[in-house]
Order: sequence, then C-alpha cells, then structure tokens
Amino acid sequence: MLRRYTSLYWFFLIQRFKILMEYRLNFFIGLTSTIFLQAAGLLGIWVIVSQVPDLNGWTLDQVLLIYGLLTLAKSINHMFADNLWVIGWGYVRPGGFDRFLVRPINPLFHLLADRFCHDGLGNFLVGAALVIVSSINLHLVWTPLNLLYLIVVVISGGVIFIALNLITATSAFWIIESIPVTQIVFNTHEFARFPLTIYPKAIQLFLTILIPYGFASYYPATQILGRDPGLLAWLPPFVALVLAVFSYRVWLFGLKHYGGTGS
Amino acid sequence: MSIIHVQDLSKVYRIVEKDPGLAGSFKALFRPRYKDILAVDRISFTIEPGELVGYIGVNGAGKSTTIKMLTGILLPSGGAVRVLERDPYQQRVPNARDIGVVFGQRSQLWWDLPLIESLNFIQRIYEIPPASFKRRLDEFAETLELKALFGTPIRNLSLGQKMRAELAATLIHDPQVVYLDEPTIGLDLLVKERIREFIKAQNRQRNVTVILTTHDLGDIEEICQRVIMIDAGRIIYDGPLSLIKARFGKFREITLETASPIGLFALPTGAEIVQQADQRLTLRFDRTVTTASQVAAAIMNQLEVADFSLAEPDLASIVKQIYSGALHA
Repeated sequence: MLRRYTSLYWFFLIQRFKILMEYRLNFFIGLTSTIFLQAAGLLGIWVIVSQVPDLNGWTLDQVLLIYGLLTLAKSINHMFADNLWVIGWGYVRPGGFDRFLVRPINPLFHLLADRFCHDGLGNFLVGAALVIVSSINLHLVWTPLNLLYLIVVVISGGVIFIALNLITATSAFWIIESIPVTQIVFNTHEFARFPLTIYPKAIQLFLTILIPYGFASYYPATQILGRDPGLLAWLPPFVALVLAVFSYRVWLFGLKHYGGTGS
Repeated sequence: MSIIHVQDLSKVYRIVEKDPGLAGSFKALFRPRYKDILAVDRISFTIEPGELVGYIGVNGAGKSTTIKMLTGILLPSGGAVRVLERDPYQQRVPNARDIGVVFGQRSQLWWDLPLIESLNFIQRIYEIPPASFKRRLDEFAETLELKALFGTPIRNLSLGQKMRAELAATLIHDPQVVYLDEPTIGLDLLVKERIREFIKAQNRQRNVTVILTTHDLGDIEEICQRVIMIDAGRIIYDGPLSLIKARFGKFREITLETASPIGLFALPTGAEIVQQADQRLTLRFDRTVTTASQVAAAIMNQLEVADFSLAEPDLASIVKQIYSGALHA
C-alpha cells in the first residue's frame, strides 16, 4: 500500500514536471516570486527586531531561527498540499473532483498528488538558509541527534500546516469557495514568526492549543536553543499526528456531503 | 445474476432558498431558509450483465444524480445500490477498478500531455498489467483510429478526436460496467456514428454492460435495447425501446423550404399541415402509412423545393405523451 502510493506519487511528480516544462517561463517565475515574497517578510522581521534589539529576551538570530523553522514547515505544505487551497474553484465547481471519486486511489491522495507546487521550493530554500545562517551566528552545534530532532519537527510542522488547511478546505463541500475560510486560519501562522512570550496569554494559548502553529516554530526553536521548554519540546510529532487523524475524519465527513455539480 | 441492483434509491439535496436581488442574498446569509429537493425519489431497477441501457430524461430529471450514486460519487439519502455485489460508496476503490465513466463534457485526460502519456498515467493508476495494456492499446489504435494521435497533446485534438481518446481511456482497464454521460454531445454525425459502432462492438466482444445517458434519441435508437426514463426523480418508463418507438415514432415531422412562395398543392396521403409560411412548410406524417421520401417526393412534384429537413421526435414531447397516458393506451 505505502509502496504503491509512493511510486504513484513519484509518477505524478514526473508528469507534473513534464507539464511544467511545457511552460518553462512560468516555472522560473513561480520559483523566484516566492523567494522575493520571503525577502519582503524577512525585511519586516529585521526592521522590527533591529529597532528593538532585545525582543523580550530574544536576539535577531534567535527570532530568525523561529522564522526559519516556520518557513520550512510552511514550504512542505506549499509543495505537497497546495491544491487544498484551490479545491473549491479548481475541482469542486468545475466538476473535476468527480473524476477523483471514480478512480481506484484515495481521492485525497489524488487531489494532493495532482499538483506538486514547485513555488514551495523557493520557500524551502529560504527556510533552510535562515536555519543555517542563524545557527552559524548562534554557534549552534548540530549533533546527529539535534539534526534528527530538526527533521522530525520540520515534518511535524508541515503536517500541522497541511492538517489545518485540510480542515478548512473541507468547507468547499458545502460552500464551494473555501479560500476565505482557509485564509482566516492559515494567516494566524504569522503570529508564530515571533517568540510566543511577546503575546498576551490568550494568544499564546490560541497558538498552542486551538491552532497549534506554535509547535511548528516557537517550541522546537526553544528546544534547539537550549532554553528547555520541557514537555512541549517533544509534543510536535504527537500534535501533528492527532491533528492529521482529526482532519482526515473531518474530510471524510465532508465527502459525505459532497453533492457534485448539479444534475 | 444481475450486475446492478437499485432498490428504493433516493437523493435529497438541501439548498438555501434566496429571495431575488442583493438584499435577498444578504438575508439568506444570516437567516438561511432551507429547502429539500428530492432529486431522485425511490427508484428501483436491475440490470443484467451485457445489457445496453439508455437512461434518459429531460434536464434536471435526476439522471446525473442517479449515475453519481451508481458510480460511488454521491452517498444516497435512502435505499440501496449494489454494483457487482458491492456498495459503490462504501467500497469506492474496488468498485472503481471494475467500472469506467465518461463525463461527456469533462475530460479525464491531462490537457497538456500527449495522449499516450495520459494513457500511461491511467495504466499506473489502475495497475493494468503491461501485457494487457499493450494489447488494448493496439486494439484501440485500430478501432478508434488513435495511432496517429498518441503523440499529440490533448489540447490540440479536435472534439471528435478527444471523445475517441476519452473512450480509450475509459475502457483501457477492461471495466465490466461503463457509464457514458452524453458521449456524443456536440459531435458531427459521422463521428457519432463511429462512436456508436465502437460502443456496440465493445458490448458484443466483451459483454460490457453499458448505461448511457443522452439527449440524443439517435444514440438510444442505435445502441440501446432497453430504456429507463426518469422524470422529476421517478421512473416513468422501463422497458424495451421498440415499444416507445412504436408509440412515439409513429409521427414524424418534415420541414420543406421552397424556392418561391407556396401556391396551391395537394396534401400527400397520411400527412397533415403543422405550419405553413410564405416559403416554408412543416408537415406531420404517420410512419405506418407513408414514408419521409414518399411525402417529400409528392411535394417536390408540385412545388420547387430548395431544402428539407426531418425532425427526430424530441424527448420533451415523448415525456409529455407518456404523462398523457400514451404508453398505457
């Protein structure tokens, strides 16, 4: 099963790149546009932190590490699950989603695999660069164990992003145009670019329990920086797992309400 | 052993009722009024392996909703569907392996990729063994005349070529049941003819069961032995095509355009005037009494005819006649 889907994904990916090569210019525009967007976001952080050299006990490089982790997690969502954004107008409204339901593969897999989003590669590169640069400046030592931790939390963060988008994307089965719903939840990840301690308690709890983007950036960063957040450092994979299972249930529930396009 | 079993199948859509205008939309946003629409209302039928069934009805009659429940796309609101002994919604993936679906207006092929790439893709998705894939490919290269098109991106194919490609993609995994939703829509007569022949041949050679929805009575006439007619969510006729044909094919209409204004003429036997204008004449004739060529010839002897056309009896008028009890008469 896993082998079948892995090899299928690979096949989808190759097809996707064949299509992209038909439109070479778009390919490079997409890739560079995300890098520029990221540059703008970085500039914003730099402005804030350079004005306030000590952000509640956090230096610029430490904040950049948080931001780097968040960007890496976001890039996973961007690369592998971008179709969750467009499910409404791209698949449900024109009726293409019907096709996924009459093919002998999981429809969610089909939806996600249908479009690997190469724009996310730009995000990934920026995120990786941020982690590397900030860890050099911070003289972090990457032991194999630390590296493993980094990989696990980045993947967990990616799953958290995807699961939250899956929940909001499911609204497309009722209202078709799901982008605004996804946007509302997704945009709260912007808060998680900074150490959560700068926020009032309510927002901290919000980003920890309700919409747990904090586990994609702040908590793992504190662990990597040796600030020892305790149990919270080890929660990301579990939060990701619980959220993934829950979001898939929501998705299945939504499928039952799928009505297709008229008759 | 029937291959499709439908028992008291229903589907209810819940929609939000809106008053007209922007104000109405706003009101619906904050205080929605729901209305249940019964799209399919307790229908039952069974289909045997190898049957060619025409599933017809006017727009909004519940055709597509039924097909979507049969294919596992929609969850029924009530009743039961069994296709090949399975519940198509609960066992979607195994069901999908054994069925093929053409949505006439929506392609399953990858727009930007050459046809052969799309077919390779489908081979992977359906896990078709290479040997049988190759065999089917060779067969379709021949019967659907696809050989020259394999390397062409779908976006560059004509409508007729696209439908031929679509049929290949739908049948390449050797499905036992095929659902064809408007497979000849928008195609010219010659291509239609080719596609009908192909569907019949597939049925003959492989005993494929075909469920066909269409607005084109020509499709039904050429392909189907049995017709299920649905209106307002209920089945109003299920039986042989020959019976419908005998009842409704009885009268046909012929329209003639004349080169000069129509003067006096004698009405051919078995025909009556439906409409007469300056240079245009529509006649209805009884097919059991006369033929189209006899009527046309009789008129041409008297008037200078520039052009003439023969109208197929249309679905809406048949449905109307069924309601007026014509089938039970």
